[in-house]
Parts: sequence; C-alpha cells; structure tokens
Amino acid sequence: MVILPRMRNLMLVGILPLGLLLVSLVPNTIVTTAANAITAEEMLANPELEERARNLSKQLRCLVCQNQSIDDSDADLARDLRREVRSQIAAGDSDEAIMDQLQQKYGDYVLLNPPLDLATMFLWLAPFAFMLLGGVIVLMARRQSGTESINELDATERAKIEKMLASLNGRNE
Amino acid sequence: MMSQLRLSFLLPLLAFTALALVGAVALYATLSGSRDPAQLPSVLVNKSAPRTSLANLMPNDAGDNMVQLTAFKGQPLLVNFFASWCAPCRAEAPALEMLSKRVAILGIAYKDRGEDTNSFLEQYGNPFRAVGMDTDGRMGIEWGVYGVPETYLLDANGVVKLRHAGPLTRGVIDATIMPALEALGSW
Repeated sequence: MVILPRMRNLMLVGILPLGLLLVSLVPNTIVTTAANAITAEEMLANPELEERARNLSKQLRCLVCQNQSIDDSDADLARDLRREVRSQIAAGDSDEAIMDQLQQKYGDYVLLNPPLDLATMFLWLAPFAFMLLGGVIVLMARRQSGTESINELDATERAKIEKMLASLNGRNE
Repeated sequence: MMSQLRLSFLLPLLAFTALALVGAVALYATLSGSRDPAQLPSVLVNKSAPRTSLANLMPNDAGDNMVQLTAFKGQPLLVNFFASWCAPCRAEAPALEMLSKRVAILGIAYKDRGEDTNSFLEQYGNPFRAVGMDTDGRMGIEWGVYGVPETYLLDANGVVKLRHAGPLTRGVIDATIMPALEALGSW
C-alpha cells in the first residue's frame, strides 16, 4: 500500500488522541512519588488502619494547594484533614463513609478523581470521542488512497520492462 | 472521489475549529471575571448550617460557657471565621463593624488562642454578638472552611444563603452581601 503524504498527516491526527489517552492512563502514582508530608506522631498505631488512612489521603485534594493530595502537602489544612480522616478511621467509619462525608463538606473538589456524573460526562468521554474521530479520519483517508495506490503492473508496463531487461541481457553477452 | 477527499480534509479542520471556539469562550469567561477560578462555590449554600457548639470566648454572667448556633435562630445571621494571626481579618474589621449595625454576627475564632483573640478584638474592635473558639479547626472543617477569613450568611432558619471566602470589602458587601440581606428582608 502506498502511503501518500496527505494520508500520513491524517493518520497523525488519529494517533495523537490515542497517545494522549495512553499518557492519561499512566497511574499518577508514578509521577508523584515525592516526599510525604506526614509526621510520625500523626500516624495510627495499627498499621492496617494507618494503611487505610494513607490510601484515603492520597485520594483527597489539599484544598489550599489545589494539585497536591493531603498526603503530599504540608499545608495546615491538609494536616487537619489527615487528622480528621484518622480520627474517623479510629472511630470505626468505613472508607466510603469518610470520603462521602468530606465530599458533603467540601464538594467534588476535595476528590482528586472527579466522579462520573452529568457535569463531568464530557471530561470522561471526550478521549473516547476523539479516538473515534481519529479512527474515522484514518478510515476515510485509507479508502481515499486505495483508489490511487497501484500495486500491480499492467500489460503495457510489463512489456516495457521485459523489453528493457532483454536489451540489457543482449548487451552483456 | 473529489467530494470525499475534501470531506476528509475538512473534518479535522472543523473539529479543531469547534474545539478552539469552546476554548476561546472558556478563556474569555475566565478573563472577563464571570467565573473566578479562585472563588469555589460552597456546597453548604441552601443547606442547613452544621450543628455548631463552641466554647465561649466571653462566658457571660449566666455562666453560659458554650456558644450555640441554634440560639441565633429567628433572625438572619452572619457567621465570620477569623483569627488574630490572620492579616486580611484585620483589613475586614471596619467592614464587619459596619455590618454589625444591621445584622447579628457570630464570630468563630479559627485555630486561635483565647488571649490572642481577646487582644485582637481589643485592638480592631468587636463586631460580634458572641465568639466561639474553634481551637483545633475542627468546626472549620465541618463548615468547609479553606482558610480565614470566611463569612457565611444564614437565614432565620439557619440555612446558609451565601458564603464569601476572603476579606469583606466595600465592593463585596455592595455586590453580594447587601443584595442577599435585602432578599432576606433585613436591610
């Protein structure tokens, strides 16, 4: 198949959203392995409960620093929220109940992962829409280039080449 | 074939134009100030204020050691989170003083020590009907406070009508607090 320059451009348009999607799927834990803000006296004695607290803290936004989790942040409010999470864990609340309660006080903004609802539908579905669009463009480009690509020699071309090869052989002898 | 070629050429162009338009509108809305990214809406608005009971900074003669939010029901109320260590709180002191002539204000001293709060009120004036001590900031979390100063307007039933994060200025009072108070019929 012959790839025409225009088609190559069109394929790039299709590949770009795919690449962006793949990048967005890389777990953000790889990016944020920065030093932890938590201090020893904050920690819960029970390692199992502490693990739960750390896990929840990583999903909660430090509201005053905007793009850090409360697990990463040294801000006062982040420390207060870590303490709040731990005291609720110690009181026996479930993870869902704790997240739900903080969401009621601070809204969706406190969650680092936006929930899938009507308001965030575009955010979640847009990558797939772009992938679809890219795929359609690639398909259209392929169909269009198919009419222009030439894979087989026709009879006159074949005759011409055989004549040239024959004359070449004749000269060598 | 010609029409197909043109369509596949136009489609990405149209898609890009549509995206760029959406981006331009969003950017314009942000820059023109109709949507301020620093002003986050409070989820408390149009909900009942959290149950609030705090140690009273100034226990009265009746030996009332707690400040209860429920005691203020039946009238509109401003709830102001402040702290002696907070510079913008000093800046908004005159605005609160002015507002206190028209509406009851409950002060909540956020992560502050009683003696510091007292000297702050002595220096900058005390516009509050009562001051509750939120020493560890727990009550602030209940209210969804980001930082001080923050001000909430409650109606007579204790439902939050408005929240303003940051110092109250003449502009904020004229643009948001006053119309909201008027709507509650108390200005």
